[in-house]
Amino acid sequence: MADPIAETAAPSPDGWEPRIIAFLCYWCSYTGADNAGTARLKYPHNVHIVRLMCSGRIDPELVTTAFARGADGVMVCGCHIGDCHYISGNHKTMARMPLLRRTLEAFGIEPGRFVFEWVSAAEGEKFARLVRDTVAGVRALGPLDWPGRLRARGVGHGRDLQPWGAQP
Amino acid sequence: MNAVSKAKVAMYWAGSCGGCDISLLEIGPHLLELVAAADVVFWPCAADFKYHHVASYPDGYIDLCLFNGSVRNSEQERMARLLRQKSKTLVAYGACAISGGIPALANLATPEELFARSYTDCPSVDNPGGVLPRTETESLVGELEIPHFYPQVLRLSDIVEVDYLIPGCPPQATRVWEVCQAFLGGALPARAHEQLAGCTDKSVCDECTLEKRLVKISGFRRHHEAIPEPGWCLLEQGFVCLGAATRSGCGALCTKVNMPCRGCYGPSGEARDQGAAFIGALGSLLNAELEARAGELIDQIVDPAGTFYRFTMSDGDLKGHR
Amino acid sequence: MNDAASGARIGVFICHCGGNISDVVDVKRVAEEVGKLPGVVLSTTHMFICSDPGQALVESVIKEHALDRVIVAACSPTLHQMTFRRAIERAGLNQFLFEHVNVREQVSWVTEDPVGATAKATRLVSAAVHRARHLVALDKRRIAIQPAALVIGGGVAGLVAARDLAQRGMKVTLVENRPFLGGRMAQLETVFPTGEKARDLLAPLIEEVVSHKLITVMTNAQVVNSEGVVGDFRTRIRVTPRGVNERLAYRGNAIAACPEETVNEFDFGLSKRKAIYMAYPGCWPPMPAIDWHTCTKCGKCVWAVGGKGIELDAEPREVEVRAGVIVLATGYDPYEPLYGEYGYGIFPRVITLQQLIRYLDPEGPTGGQLPLDGASKPRIGFIYCVGARQIEGVNQRQPDGKVKDYCARTCCTGALHAALTIKDHHPDATIYNLYQDVRTYGRGHEAYYERASESGALFLRFDPRHPPRVEKNPRGDSPVVVQVQDLLTDRLDVELPLDLLVLATGVVPHDISELVGMYRCAVGYDSFLLEVHPKLRPVELAVSGVFLAGCCQGPMDITEAAGAASAAASKAAALIAQGQVEMDPFTARVNEALCTGCQTCLGVCPYTAITRDPVKRIANVNQALCTGCGTCAAACPSKAIEQAGFTDAQVLSEVYALLADRSGAVTA
Repeated sequence: MADPIAETAAPSPDGWEPRIIAFLCYWCSYTGADNAGTARLKYPHNVHIVRLMCSGRIDPELVTTAFARGADGVMVCGCHIGDCHYISGNHKTMARMPLLRRTLEAFGIEPGRFVFEWVSAAEGEKFARLVRDTVAGVRALGPLDWPGRLRARGVGHGRDLQPWGAQP
Repeated sequence: MNAVSKAKVAMYWAGSCGGCDISLLEIGPHLLELVAAADVVFWPCAADFKYHHVASYPDGYIDLCLFNGSVRNSEQERMARLLRQKSKTLVAYGACAISGGIPALANLATPEELFARSYTDCPSVDNPGGVLPRTETESLVGELEIPHFYPQVLRLSDIVEVDYLIPGCPPQATRVWEVCQAFLGGALPARAHEQLAGCTDKSVCDECTLEKRLVKISGFRRHHEAIPEPGWCLLEQGFVCLGAATRSGCGALCTKVNMPCRGCYGPSGEARDQGAAFIGALGSLLNAELEARAGELIDQIVDPAGTFYRFTMSDGDLKGHR
Repeated sequence: MNDAASGARIGVFICHCGGNISDVVDVKRVAEEVGKLPGVVLSTTHMFICSDPGQALVESVIKEHALDRVIVAACSPTLHQMTFRRAIERAGLNQFLFEHVNVREQVSWVTEDPVGATAKATRLVSAAVHRARHLVALDKRRIAIQPAALVIGGGVAGLVAARDLAQRGMKVTLVENRPFLGGRMAQLETVFPTGEKARDLLAPLIEEVVSHKLITVMTNAQVVNSEGVVGDFRTRIRVTPRGVNERLAYRGNAIAACPEETVNEFDFGLSKRKAIYMAYPGCWPPMPAIDWHTCTKCGKCVWAVGGKGIELDAEPREVEVRAGVIVLATGYDPYEPLYGEYGYGIFPRVITLQQLIRYLDPEGPTGGQLPLDGASKPRIGFIYCVGARQIEGVNQRQPDGKVKDYCARTCCTGALHAALTIKDHHPDATIYNLYQDVRTYGRGHEAYYERASESGALFLRFDPRHPPRVEKNPRGDSPVVVQVQDLLTDRLDVELPLDLLVLATGVVPHDISELVGMYRCAVGYDSFLLEVHPKLRPVELAVSGVFLAGCCQGPMDITEAAGAASAAASKAAALIAQGQVEMDPFTARVNEALCTGCQTCLGVCPYTAITRDPVKRIANVNQALCTGCGTCAAACPSKAIEQAGFTDAQVLSEVYALLADRSGAVTA
């Protein structure tokens, strides 16, 4: 059997590694991620978890900020619908994230860079698989480098602007 | 301010529609008070000053410069830098100068797409040769150069330090006059860092009188598709109204006439990214118990990015298409 | 965003976890890198920070260096966040000036590449340092606990837990989803290691429970949903009508009159029962129940008893049970072999250990007779570890895609116990035990192995990678023949014609997926419920106020299940006895200057904690009702609501730090 980790963890030739921020609710998805750890399931090291009490706290601005600050991908995970520790916090997530996804797509952020999935406390395996798939997907898409893109287009004080067409 | 010599004021339009200039005229009789107290030293819309006049002023000569419009080409950038150099106080006047405004909706397309649409693909364009604008061209009077086009629409603050921001598309005349009075009365410190003026800390909902019935949204409609029920919150009726996510100061003019707020005063409170803040709010208000139903409702929103960032594309976190 | 404590004095402690972390993550390197960050006064590592010396170190360093922020990078916060919060509180610091970084479950245990793991750990810890600068002191909230417990499951573990809780003076509701109490234990005949009759042990326990004034027992009762948190769980329970009431006098007549028959699950399919039935003689409640899936409501039973005591048209009812704590005692199911696994399902003479026990029961389907087709010197084989200790690639995967790789713990002794019982009834029987390892681990269990050996039972050890094969006997002198390679005789190929083959089947958790969702239970890879910590908090779920009793947590024998139940009861009682629970202070607060009264948040709160102040025309959060999810903070378009402990400044600082090397100097 081919080792999925070895495949996804192989660094790119230029040394670039996907940097992914994952916003997780504490009760289901974070515990699910712990569960993956307890079961010693292996996944690549690119995903960095930010813990919130409920996926309902995941403000869309956290996601746009992460991309704007240079994340190559963002994951948002919460309890399955019906399983929310706070009854219905995730119902808001269920509406906000698809709305955000459509908006991000208009900005040219590929769907594979914004992963929104339900992960229960029991779904350590699902979490590990999700991380592997997300990292592989983002790796295939390559660097996003939003800060570099903005710099190149003159966002920020006193930049030496290059006219359109003069850029390589 | 020197009591002997009159204050010097300037207004300039960069990437703008002219509405901001009109809004300054809209202060009406107060205009006479303004010119009585201050000399207009540059205002292309209203007075015949040229570039070389401005260039000849000493640095800091202009006390208050109201700069409207966004920056998308080399001429606009040059004027922004020049006016910053010549002005004690530089104000980003109106949504375009502050956050890109309507012109920055073009950030969702590439320059190639914009040129193709404007000069070849548009059904009303007759351009069999496919001629596109060039920055240099030979003419009867010799070689001409027109401004360079930049890859995306920028805010004034992307180019130079900005002291004040007067939001709105356009800023409301009463608010503008308040700021002018503060300036003339010496209550406006010359230097500040992107400080808001001519608006409040609250959102449009604070000034809007429509009734909230606390019902969830069961379907979205655009304002040409249905007539809203008078007196009832437009968002609750399914019209995408950005009032809750928009800072106030306008007096809720649009919702007074049953038009949904389009967000021209920019993000409210401490929100940075107006679009993201509105998504957070709107996603909380859908009448959907199931994921599929939420998806159906969301699909009814036409052009979410353009709608949520209608006036703040250059100011949000992402600022435009990749 | 202002730096809430730019002069912060931060201490960072990175745990080796005895190698669990430091074998993969270069913890010294992480400490060194993080130590360079502004505000970090001290950055060090320790072998076990959760140990007493580790905690003492944290406490002394806080005092010595006048730290005002503490970061511990160790295991998951679900495990030791409280330990460290208490430690820093002992050192005189507010416990919420603490950040817990998870570098074990989410780094060392999941990462193979040590370089990547160290880099990730460094980023996570430095994010915590940035976040810590924005922390402020917070006070815990306290919530009163309902002095009542809900025990789910009426098997031996549930019964013991209910009894123990009631003995401590707690009000208990015991719900059992089947119509009769007793669970799996009632299906056993005699039990190891005492040889007592299972149902004789069960009867006084059931009597004690059902007659206790503080205990309410509901049978035929299913948990529909649950709301609330520790201290006040509100659980909706649907009670399916029994169809029979106390007025039923001639239950024998009613049962005899019933024309509908179905498979008797109590005998594992070895017998049939009627639609109106009693589970076993002496069961509780001592009256029949109607199985509505089988009943056609023909009315023959009603007619047979003269209309008294049977209600065919009773409707299910729902009740709400309020309880401060929940004990889950949902038990196990025997492993059901796959079709064809060791001939199961193909050959009628291949049966499971559970079926054998039913055969051996004098009150069982055959009155204690084995299905030997009159064989005079019966040859009976046992295959051990069926549906247990399976090997990926050797054993067929289960429908859930996994193999059952854990030891089911009860089947070795259970099978030997059954083998000895057979020997008692059939002294001339030959018993073959085909095993991987004999794990008679408990007190008195080994005696069964010794007695079986002395009784002449034969032991053949197979290599689990080459399990025995069960085939039709081509000579026809027995129903099946087993081929096995015996490791004890240097891999001699042995062929055993057998009259009866018993599969010593393992244990799988009873399907409680709905409860798992409702109570947000952690589930292990083996699908059993997962305790917070196997040694330190062995009967608690990570969800506060929910406790584990018995086989829902893993394979146990009755002794262990009863022990776990008593432990769960005592933990639950201790919690109730506190009278109140402390709650995290992560509640939402409204910034009155920014709130514009847009009312977006009013409909967002699941607990209706947010109301509108009609005078100020702004939102107001009731701190007692707020549970601290933060959903309203994400909804507020003006950022006028902040969730304590998860403010925008705190969360964003973490995001910024995780991307510090990516951002460049772009202004947001």
